[in-house]
Amino acid sequence: MGMQRTIVYDALVHRDRVHGSLYTDPGVFSDEMDRIFHKGWSFVGHTSEVPNIGDFKRRQIGLQPVIITRNPDNEVRLLFNRCTHRGNMICAKESGNTATFVCPYHGWTFGVGGEMRGVPLQNGMGKDFDKSAMGLANVPRMRIYRGFIFASLAAEGPSFDAYLGKARKLLDRACDMSPDGEVDLSAGWLKHRFHANWKMLPENNTDGYHVNVAHASLMRAVNAFSSQAFDEDKGDNSVTRDWGGGHTELDFAARYHQTGRPFQWFGGVPAAKMPDYVARMEQAYGKDLAQQHMIEGPPHAILFPNLFLAELNISFLIPISANEVVQYYTPLLLKGAPEVNARALRQTEGAMGPGSFLLPEDACMAERNQLGLAAQSPEWLDLRRGLEREYMDEKTGLLSSAVSDEITNRSFWKEYLQLMSSFPGAAA
Amino acid sequence: MSMPENEIREIEAFLFLEARLADESRYDEWEALWTEDALYWVPRRADLDPAKEVSHIYDNRQRIGTRIRQLKSGFRYSQTPASPMRRVLSNIEIAPAGADEYEAGANFMLMELAIQSTRNMNFWGGRTLYRLRRVDGGLRMVVKKILLIDADEPIANLSFLI
Repeated sequence: MGMQRTIVYDALVHRDRVHGSLYTDPGVFSDEMDRIFHKGWSFVGHTSEVPNIGDFKRRQIGLQPVIITRNPDNEVRLLFNRCTHRGNMICAKESGNTATFVCPYHGWTFGVGGEMRGVPLQNGMGKDFDKSAMGLANVPRMRIYRGFIFASLAAEGPSFDAYLGKARKLLDRACDMSPDGEVDLSAGWLKHRFHANWKMLPENNTDGYHVNVAHASLMRAVNAFSSQAFDEDKGDNSVTRDWGGGHTELDFAARYHQTGRPFQWFGGVPAAKMPDYVARMEQAYGKDLAQQHMIEGPPHAILFPNLFLAELNISFLIPISANEVVQYYTPLLLKGAPEVNARALRQTEGAMGPGSFLLPEDACMAERNQLGLAAQSPEWLDLRRGLEREYMDEKTGLLSSAVSDEITNRSFWKEYLQLMSSFPGAAA
Repeated sequence: MSMPENEIREIEAFLFLEARLADESRYDEWEALWTEDALYWVPRRADLDPAKEVSHIYDNRQRIGTRIRQLKSGFRYSQTPASPMRRVLSNIEIAPAGADEYEAGANFMLMELAIQSTRNMNFWGGRTLYRLRRVDGGLRMVVKKILLIDADEPIANLSFLI
């Protein structure tokens, strides 16, 4: 008989430091699954992953298996992957196309939209058996914004609009890199296992401080990358931003505008090599706005808690335990931009994933963080960097700071504390 | 068409050499095995179309060069120090492919110690498909396509030479 421990989060999360146990304590992890991943909003997938009626794709929300499907009415559905009879995981295939899900245990059959079709030997179920009430359970709340599917497993709670807040603009910026205003995540996902706590990923993904150090090997191997070193002391005026709600960004726009050249975010590929893309962008957005998009590029940002808009890649994480997490990556393909997409595929392979030139170091650092945190002294992780120079940027209305500052970590933890401590029943 | 025994032995010896250079992280010698039109490929699926889908690794000759320079930089932390490794090749099949090339396939099992962080013993397995070419009397590698059994599952760092 284990005694339920109540963890007082206000004592563990401070403005300039967080307690090490937040990354290692299974009790914390259990609270996070409940309060952040199950009750809160998180990213689940994209409508382009199920383009046709009958398409399905397995995913996970927190620790719970779900299926994204497209029903015969061409609507996206988000279903729990559990037979309503005795709990069998009804869909074992990762993805595919089907008219029905048939439970292999007793033969209960459901349409691809989740509605019950029938059970063998139905007479035995009694005369009150109501098939219409026995469909696969729907995830209580699902919202789709420009193809990005978000969900909450709680029927009640903060609205999707309140969750997304100003960060809607970040999704807009990613989608508006396409002349059609639409992105396509159909190139498949690389899946990368980290023996580390899930929070290290969003904290690392908008950390501008580690790049010059942890990724030094790529700078030494590729000159083009070394010119992208993040160094505010050498004129890099990129900034870190707090978008509210735990959403954070490394914003390179100011640096890219120093030269005003397009595609610096894309290995500096000359515009002349993508003439159709440039023409289609100018046609879609007008010359000035198209130029701005092509100079500034897609965002480098985290949407709390698990989506990483990684410039021309999309990444998300699935937590496994306090010590393990899986990160997914796919290229951000742009509808109407085949010239970009052909390069994006190869760029994703170079930058993202377990075999790439960047992410293996991030995984190694996250794992070494986890190992280091087994030492319980000092008790705290230091997140003070930039506290004395962060400022309210009047142009954007966002709390901002220099590119190497830990404002992104602090923003993440601010939202974390809000969700973990304001939860009904949580210790005050 | 049956191949002469000595030709089969020569190709097997090449495959074993390539495997040993990879196991021992002998980067320069491994890089020297490649032709200029090289492809070092770890797809997520055997029939994956690289024009439409993303692979774990899809290195042309230039990118192999970058990979090796990065490994040799001393700062490739995910391979510093290099993972101790040993692999076993088996079920080798070889067929001629045109005038001066061969296709070969071999199952492999690879034990890799993630000495840089977790010290987990990672167990990798699958089948490797090779395309080899006779150049100046010797053999060179044109394509190495590694079909991991778990390529579409979550996998650990793949920054060593697989």
